Formats: sequence, C-alpha cells, structure tokens
Amino acid sequence: MKDSANYKDYALLSYHHIPGVHNLEIFERAGGYETMKACFDKDPEAIKEEVKQSGLRGRGGAGFSTGVKWGFFTKDRSAIKYLLCNADESEPGTFKDRYLVEKNPHILIEGMIISAWALGTQKGYIYIRGEFYHQAMILEKAIKEAYANGYLGKNILGKGFDFDLYVHRGAGAYICGEETGMISSLEGKKGQPKLKPPFPAIKGYRGLPTMVNNVESLAAIPWIMKFGANAYKQWGTEKSPGTKLFSISGDVNKPGVIEVPLSTTLKEIIEVHCGGVRNGNKLKAVIPGGSSAPIFNAEDSLIVKMDYEDVAAKGSMLGSGAIIVLDETRNMGEVLKWTLEFYHHESCGQCTPCREGTGWMEKILKRKEIGVAKKSDIELLDKTAASMRGQTICALADAAAMPTQGMIKVFRNELEQYVTTVAKK
Amino acid sequence: MTEKVKFKWNGKEIEADKGSNLLKAALDNGIEVAHYCYHAGLSVAGVCRMCMVEQDGVPRPFPACNASCGEGIVVRNDTPKIKSSIEATLSFHLLNHPLDCPVCDQAGECGLQDYYMKHGQYDSQMVDKKVHKDKVQDIGRNVMLDAERCILCSRCTRFTEEVTKTHELGILNRGDHAEITVNEKLKNNYAQNLVDICPVGALTSKDFRFKQRVWFLEEVQTTCIGCETGCSVKVSENKNGAFRVKPSYDHEVNGHWMCDDGRNIYKHVSGALRLFGAQENLNGLFVPVDEFKTHQLAKGKTLKFILSTGLTNQEYEKFFEKIKGKSAQVALYVLPNQGEDFDGLLTRGDKNPNLRGARKAFEDAGYDSSQNALDKLLSSVSSNDAIFVVVPEIIYNEDHFNTLISKVEKAGLKIALTHGETLSTLRAFDFLLPIPTFVEKNGDIINFQNKKRALRSGISYGETSKDVSYYAGWVNL
Ligand SMILES: Cc1cc2nc3c(=O)[nH]c(=O)nc-3n(C[C@H](O)[C@H](O)[C@H](O)COP(=O)(O)O)c2cc1C
Ligand code: SF4
Ligand code: SF4
Ligand code: SF4
Ligand code: FES
Repeated sequence: MKDSANYKDYALLSYHHIPGVHNLEIFERAGGYETMKACFDKDPEAIKEEVKQSGLRGRGGAGFSTGVKWGFFTKDRSAIKYLLCNADESEPGTFKDRYLVEKNPHILIEGMIISAWALGTQKGYIYIRGEFYHQAMILEKAIKEAYANGYLGKNILGKGFDFDLYVHRGAGAYICGEETGMISSLEGKKGQPKLKPPFPAIKGYRGLPTMVNNVESLAAIPWIMKFGANAYKQWGTEKSPGTKLFSISGDVNKPGVIEVPLSTTLKEIIEVHCGGVRNGNKLKAVIPGGSSAPIFNAEDSLIVKMDYEDVAAKGSMLGSGAIIVLDETRNMGEVLKWTLEFYHHESCGQCTPCREGTGWMEKILKRKEIGVAKKSDIELLDKTAASMRGQTICALADAAAMPTQGMIKVFRNELEQYVTTVAKK
Repeated sequence: MTEKVKFKWNGKEIEADKGSNLLKAALDNGIEVAHYCYHAGLSVAGVCRMCMVEQDGVPRPFPACNASCGEGIVVRNDTPKIKSSIEATLSFHLLNHPLDCPVCDQAGECGLQDYYMKHGQYDSQMVDKKVHKDKVQDIGRNVMLDAERCILCSRCTRFTEEVTKTHELGILNRGDHAEITVNEKLKNNYAQNLVDICPVGALTSKDFRFKQRVWFLEEVQTTCIGCETGCSVKVSENKNGAFRVKPSYDHEVNGHWMCDDGRNIYKHVSGALRLFGAQENLNGLFVPVDEFKTHQLAKGKTLKFILSTGLTNQEYEKFFEKIKGKSAQVALYVLPNQGEDFDGLLTRGDKNPNLRGARKAFEDAGYDSSQNALDKLLSSVSSNDAIFVVVPEIIYNEDHFNTLISKVEKAGLKIALTHGETLSTLRAFDFLLPIPTFVEKNGDIINFQNKKRALRSGISYGETSKDVSYYAGWVNL
C-alpha cells in the first residue's frame, strides 16, 4: 500500500510527516517523482506557462514572480546554461530551507529536475550554506539515489535530456546568498556580488545564462505541476497566491517552521501555530521577514496579514518569511545592535556606502562605549541609513538600512535612551 | 563607422558612439563627473558609487560607468536627489580616510581632495575611531602603499589582473576591514602606472615622493625615447629640471600606459652630469673650454660624423643640408637589441627611438645608413680626421657602445656630441660638446609602426640652441 502524501493541506510539507521520506524509495511510495515523470511528456514552454499562471513568487526574499523570471531565460535549448538553487539561507531568523531540505531532499531534487527540463539547463548546483554540513550530506545521498534511478545524468528516463546536479558548500558568508555573490563564489572567486546589468539570466555563472531560484521556490514546482496553477491559487491572495513557509523564532512557546497559506494573519501564526508569546508575556514587536525587514510594533503585528502586499502596506516586507517575535522583556537597542553588528560583519566591502556605512552605523550606536554618545546620534543614524539606500551593487546596504530606519521610526525614544545610558559596572 | 547617438546630460546635448560607455562619453565631452573606480583602460567595477545618475523613464538611479549611450536618453546628475546622494557617498569615502593632505604627495591632484572641496565639507561630527591600517608599505618596484588612504576603488587590483596579468595585488577581508593585500611584491615592468591610476595618495612613487609639490610643475606633451614603441608621454618639469614621466593617452600607440623603463628617461636631463658648455679633456679630466678652440683644431681635418638614432627627422634633415656638397663622411650607430623583442604589452627590444626616421634621412640625402657603411667609416679613421660621435641619450648596452668608441681612437680629433659626461669611456674623447636632450627640442620621430610622433621642448635646462647641424656647419671651414 502506498503512503499517501497529505497534499490536501500543504504544497511543501506534505511529505514531512512520513518517517524516512528522505529515502528515495519511501518518497516514491508516497507519490514522489511521479510529477517529474509526467512533466517529461510536457512541452517545456507549457511548464513555464503553468508556473507563471500559478503566480508563484520567489521565496528567496525579493518576491519576484518565478514564472516571469523564467520567461527572461533563453529558449535556445542547445545553449549551455545553468540552474542554481539558492540554499545559502543566512538571513538571521530564517531556517525554512534547512528544514525543507533536511526532512525531504527529494522534493527539491524533483523540483529542480522539472525546472531544468522546462528551462533546458544541462547542469545544476545546489549552493548550500557552509554551516549546513549535515543537510549537505543528506542532499548528496539523495542525489546519488536519484542518479541510481536514472533521474539525473545522461539521457534521463530515455527522454534524451541530460541534467547533472551537484552540491556546493559555501563557507559561511551571508553575501553568498545574494545571487551574483553566489555565482562569484561558485566560480572560485571572493564572494562578491557582481554589477547588474548584466543579470544572471543573461550572463551568470561563467558568463553563461544562469537561473537562480530559492529552495522553497523550486520545491513548490512539483505541486504546481501536479495540481495546476488554479489549484495553487486557492490559497492566498491574487497577488500572493499559494502557501509559504514561515520560520518563527524568538519569544513564542513553540518556535519552528510552519506552512500556511499566504495572507494568514500574524496573530494566528503566533497564537495558534506557535502557542502564543512565552510565559504569557506581552508582545512588544515582531520582525516579520528576517533581519532586513523593518520591525512592527505590537499593534501592527496583531492586524497584519502575512502576504507580500499587506506587509508592505504596513511599511515592512515579507522577505524570506522569518518571523522574529519579541516580548516586553526585550531592549530594542540591543536588537538593533545585534542587527548592525551582523551587517557590518557581512558587508563584502565593495561599494563605498555599504562598506563604510555598515561599520559607521554600528559605531554610532555604540558611541556610549567611548563616552561620546548624544541623543541626536539617533538622528544621525537615521540620516546615515537613508543615504545608504538605493546606492549599491546589491541589496545588502538596504538590508542594513531598512531595519535601522524602521526601528528608529517605531522605537525612537527607547533608542535615544539606549544610546545615552551607560551600563553600570 | 560606428553608429552615433545623441543624448542629453544635465541638459547638454552629447554625441557619442552608440553603446559606448555613458560616463566616458560625458567625461570626453568636458563634463565633470566625480568618479573614483572607473578607468577607461580597465573593466568596470562600479564600486565607488560616485557617478550615479538618473535617467528619464528609469525608476532607480544607477552608476553611469555601468551604462551605455543610447539615442535620445536624458540623464542627469544635478538633481537634488543625486547631488545629495553623491555628497553622502563622498562623506562615506572620507569616514575612515586619515585626511593627512599636508603630508600627502597626492595633494593637488587627489580625487578626494578635489571633490570634497567642491561638494561640501568634511563632517567634523565624526568622533568615532577610524579603522587603522598599515600606512607605510614598500610593495616593490618603487611603489609605496598607504592602506589608510586607500578608498578600495580596485583600480590597482584590476590593473594587475587585466593589464599585466601578474596578479600581485588583491583585496583581503570584507567590509571596512577590507584592504589591499600584496600577494607578492610587484614584479611587473608597468608598476608605476599603479601610482598614476590610484585616485588618491594610497599608491605613491618612491622616486617622486616628497620631491616636488605638483603645483610647481608643468607638463609637456612629448614622446618616450626609451624604445622604438614611442609611447606618448607627459614630462613634468620646472626650471630646476624634469621630475617625472607619465603616460598620455594614445589610442594608436600605448593606450593609457607606459613601461617603468620609460619612466626613467628623463633622469639625464637635469642630472649631475649634464653638460652646459664645451669641455676639453685635460689628462682624463674634463674642464670648460671655449668652443672656439675645438673649432680651430677641426680646421683642415676630414670631418666624419657618426649619428645616433635618437635625433628628430628635422635634425637629420638640417644636418644633411648643412653638409650638402661638402666632403664629410657620415654613418649611423644603431643601438643593439636589448631583452626580449616584445614583452606582449608595450616594451620592445629595439631601443632606437627614431631608426626609421634616420634611415629615411640618410637615404634622402644619398648616404648609407647600414652597418657596412659604419664599419667602412671606422676602418678608415686616421690622424687626419676630426670625428664627431653623437652619443645616444640612453645607452642600454654600454659595452657595445664602448666598442664603437675604441674604434675611433686613431682619429686626430675626437669629439663627442653629448648631453653629458655619462660614461667613463667618454674620456677617450678630446672634447665634449653639448647638444639638447629630447625635452629641449621640437621635432618628429617615427616609431615602430611607422607612425610619426612629436618631441616637444618644455624646458631649457642645458644646451638648446646648438644641435648636431650646428656642428655640421663646421664642415664649411
Ligand atoms: C544580501 C542578500 C542575501 C540574500 N540571501 C539569500 C539567501 O540566503 N537565500 C535566497 O534564496 N536568496 C537570498 N537572496 C536573494 C537572492 O539574491 C535571489 O534573489 C534569490 O535567490 C532568487 O530566488 P527566488 O527568485 O526564488 O527568490 C539574498 C539577497 C541579498 C541581497
Ligand atoms: S551593497 Fe554591500 S554587500 Fe552588496 S556588493 Fe555592495 S558592498 Fe558588497
Ligand atoms: S590603492 Fe589606490 S588604486 Fe588601489 S584600491 Fe586603493 S585607492 Fe584604489
Ligand atoms: S614601451 Fe618603450 S616607448 Fe613606451 S614607455 Fe616603455 S620605453 Fe618608453
Ligand atoms: S565611477 Fe561609477 S561607480 Fe565608481
């Protein structure tokens, strides 16, 4: 008898309850790789169209339509090109891709094979965050199984299509999650983003067309191809269809990864899925989309719907879907300090506004350590952050500036107090 | 012909090649655009973010150095939004910069200093500790690195990667801890170009350091006489002499660069051994003498001339005019090849600056410029002769030249026409008579491509009025 995947409720985590599903045999018994096989009988263009119709938006953070992005890719099937899966997942608060891959590597591989067939890429790489050693091993094993079954390699299933897939481990740099930084790193260079244009879809890895997609984006492809774009749109809103993984951390009773339809309220996520704020404490604030997303105060947190539009309308962004819950015990100055330390440490240092700005913002916030802090430093911090935005090669500078400005907007008083209060020793 | 397009920059109409670099087109058309990382001779890095522009119909500002000229586009960098972002980016550049202009060699030609005087003042609110880096590093080939002054524009690393392909430099670390790292000491013969392209005073030349403040110097556009390549160069000089040589963009010959050997060609101009007037050899010691004495001694002798390949076309022409119809013998001394024939970039083994011009002038005047003719002249040298040897300005192979000198020994009167007492073997001559150096005369030379390039006089440090043809005039005696 077949284990059946619980497809009704989930597009991504439907197999996760099945013990041992990371083994190809068990995955297949539950219906895995069936969609892939069916897709080989479909016209690649029709697959791209279906994905476009589904309205799937890139889950790496920017939320750009996957189907539209695929549409920019060359249709020349003989041209050498690459499919690059972004599994670098380093944004503080984000751990959904890790969970997906660890429990069910085959859903990603199946998604990548279908995508490769649609896009006509002959080679693929899964660029995985260096710290995810265990997950990389799981992927390696799963890829081996897929090769053994003839799903990867030359002439897949006798369809005359070749696709090789490799795992490449990063070395722990956040910036290698930015797609062109990842390409530099994969090329053996220092992990530094490249100037755009040209975009990777035109000139990417080794100067050849390269499609970069997030783990979660690629893992959603089998479901979309099995049940169709319309079924996918049953969830979420018109502009944010489908389900999304959220990784919730911080002051909740049950942190972890959940899959819910887009547009689920943050209140439901915290109270129902995560068992509420820990110790019955009062909610103070929520960072809704990873460390780069501007923070919400408690009030906004309780009314926001977790879809791309509503989060944006309230002044933040859905980002990678990393929800960080902060209760009344938290000091916002400390939260900002950790955030700024992170971006200072991770700036690749190419662009002047980012290289100098990330370091300076941290110094401004820490002026009390050298005894020169003033209340007006917060104003300077705001101005500095503002002048970093929209000026650089990649979005890291904005990713550092946005949460800073967001924090100042919501918690200015607390920050002014923070910078001028010297801790008693 | 490449297609031309017209576009507008801050309202000014500019015509440029379609698809050519937008920033370059603006700069070429005399528009001042702050930029640190862009260099026309290197790939585009787009990291300094100073050249940001807005374009009608494009939602976000972008760096002009990573854009191309398109028909009818309208770009501006004078909007309030862009102006304020450029000012902010400038202050980011200054944040960790030591601002030690008073002791910096780059002062006066520093990109940072230029722009911060123009775009606003340094934020004196900066109370935070600057990131400290190594300020004095000898990175080889006469280049010094001050890592604190570096603004990480990456021009130098791109140069060693793309132009010389020698990869000595890189950028180590990230964020504001990033700094130029020297993988190995500079080993290429183009290292001084790094000093030129560094937009600030982070890379300086040991040779030029602290010698002269740049605002006391004038630049003269001329041609390098270091080898047959004939790179276009600028010589910086003042009344005290010449102080440095820099390349000057020449699309057909050297592009943006020149070799380090060429940087030294000025040294003899105002060197200690420079000759200012006639000198006589008194038992191995040269002492000033009235030129008239030499003149008298040459009377009645058969005059023989051995010319160098470093004269201008005009000098050769005037020379041959002077001796026309007179019984003087003339031959040409050609410098031997030195090093590899071509290093793949600019430097050539043939060190004769104007061999082609010399040969043509000989031919036009009915003289033989071959080695045979020289050998013939040398074998006929006798006590009846007054021999004039034009000493090449730069002698790479002294032994070879000394062999030539040894062959004129028998002459009754041996005269060196030279800019100075450069070799000990010049003691074999009875008299030294001064001639101008390459920066003290106007004329043309012909390079290895048969292209004409100009020598231009800037200073009159030594002898400038008496050239080889002046002495040829003595044939009339
Ligand atoms: C600083 C920075 C870090 C990023 N890190 C990640 C990451 O860890 N994982 C990811 O999928 N995308 C990351 N991105 C986004 C990628 O550049 C890229 O947009 C994404 O991988 C595209 O996939 P998608 O269209 O499926 O979202 C990052 C972007 C920036 C600017
Ligand atoms: S914005 Fe920052 S991280 Fe991104 S390329 Fe520029 S310096 Fe590097
Ligand atoms: S040393 Fe000069 S050329 Fe090199 S990166 Fe620094 S500022 Fe640029
Ligand atoms: S290549 Fe020759 S002409 Fe050019 S700078 Fe060097 S020595 Fe001078
Ligand atoms: S000159 Fe364009 S970014 Fe530096």
